[in-house]
Amino acid sequence: MARRVVITGLGIISPVGNTPEEFFGNLMAGHSGIKRLQTDFIEKLSIRIGAPVEGFNPAEHFSKIQLTGIERFSQFALVAAQQAVQDAGLELSEAEFGRAGVSMGSCQGGISTLESAYGELFRQENPRIKPLTVLLSMNNAAASHISIKFRLRGPNITYATACSSSAISIGESYRQIKHGYADVMLAGGAEAMLTLGAMKAWEALRTLALEDPDDASASCKPFAKDRSGLVLGEGAAVLVLEDAERAVERGAKIYAELAGYDCSSDSNHITKPDAAGQTRTILKALHDAHLQPQDIHYINAHGTATLAGDIEETKAIKQVFGTHSRQIPVSSTKSMHGHLMGATSAVEFIAAVLAMKHNAIPPTINLHQPDPECDLDYVPNIGRTGVNLNAVMSNSFAFGGSNAVLIATRFKP
Amino acid sequence: MSSLQTIQRMMAEQFDLKPEDLSPDAQLDSLGLDSLSVIEFMFTLEDELNIKIANDRVEDFKTVGDVADIIDKIMAAQKVTSL
Repeated sequence: MARRVVITGLGIISPVGNTPEEFFGNLMAGHSGIKRLQTDFIEKLSIRIGAPVEGFNPAEHFSKIQLTGIERFSQFALVAAQQAVQDAGLELSEAEFGRAGVSMGSCQGGISTLESAYGELFRQENPRIKPLTVLLSMNNAAASHISIKFRLRGPNITYATACSSSAISIGESYRQIKHGYADVMLAGGAEAMLTLGAMKAWEALRTLALEDPDDASASCKPFAKDRSGLVLGEGAAVLVLEDAERAVERGAKIYAELAGYDCSSDSNHITKPDAAGQTRTILKALHDAHLQPQDIHYINAHGTATLAGDIEETKAIKQVFGTHSRQIPVSSTKSMHGHLMGATSAVEFIAAVLAMKHNAIPPTINLHQPDPECDLDYVPNIGRTGVNLNAVMSNSFAFGGSNAVLIATRFKP
Repeated sequence: MSSLQTIQRMMAEQFDLKPEDLSPDAQLDSLGLDSLSVIEFMFTLEDELNIKIANDRVEDFKTVGDVADIIDKIMAAQKVTSL
């Protein structure tokens, strides 16, 4: 029989907080981490907003020797993993290391290293590339550093499925445990792509939000009539997933059961979101969790604030939840932490898990002008407390059509 | 002229090490420098001293003194004089 999987530890470095509780407190308070970027290349950007990590000093966590070989996205990942391991009180015996693994999502890996190395080379300022460029920039560096630091000798897998990368790393880790290939997995995502090249590339795609003329922090407006796109962010989030029996036996604090997951492809268009594909993914995740649509008490939406994306997701939710769809609170916390790409799903899944823990729903901020085509309860502007949440869902719908849905439930032994 | 002092200074700066720990017989691995850090340091040496270090020399870098000796020989062979 398939095993049950629980969440026993959380760690996060994000634009709205560098611990899980600080992160969730800021979400509930409607605090945005989106701002005018302070970078030396700001003049080259047409869109000058982003959601950077603040208050993160690498020197507090790593020696200068270590920093020679650990890129910014891996630094975020290692610190988030350390928090999660500590939070879980995770101690592995020699025999258990081989059945403990790691899986991370990242879209761009160590892109700042590549940009600076290639930039100098192409501009012919420097004909040589630094020796550790490959090791700093490879997408699997974050997961590999976690594996080395925590001696995890089970699976070590990195997924790059754009915006759903870390939902898939979490979901596939759940399957590793469920089907008996591992007992413990550290799963999440890491991204640090507020770089000149990456930001210019996203600018060119015309999917980035325009800066709000009155308040830069209010530029991301999911589900609102005046939404104009997403805001790039950076950070990392890691969860400790564990075989439920093991967690109960060791008396671990259990946040939730990871009860359902699905990933499936639109197989339709490289960027255009597709309600039919999203609907299929949500239905299969519900089936995996043995839940009915009305059992879901909160949805953390993909909610990127792109024109098409928010409408398609609304359609998919209506398709699955029918008449119940207007009773379910749906919020997009991207309105506050931005879009962390390969890390975003893990950040949002943590938001959903903490929502259940606190029986509190974070809002979608900047939602003042409703869009008639987006007509669900998006928890506009003000978070809700005193609710009763027993099952929560997190949606991730990526470029490339790679959809993933995670469902967490209150754990009952 | 030996490159020892220059190398000690560069090593201390690049890796945030204490100059007093960088005696000629100090082992690189006990200073926390693994083979990758050594490769990165070779790159800095090549850049700053305008020399070429052959790929197979990395294995010979065991102590701070080894690095200075090897660099002295390379500089002599490549007729680089300024430090």
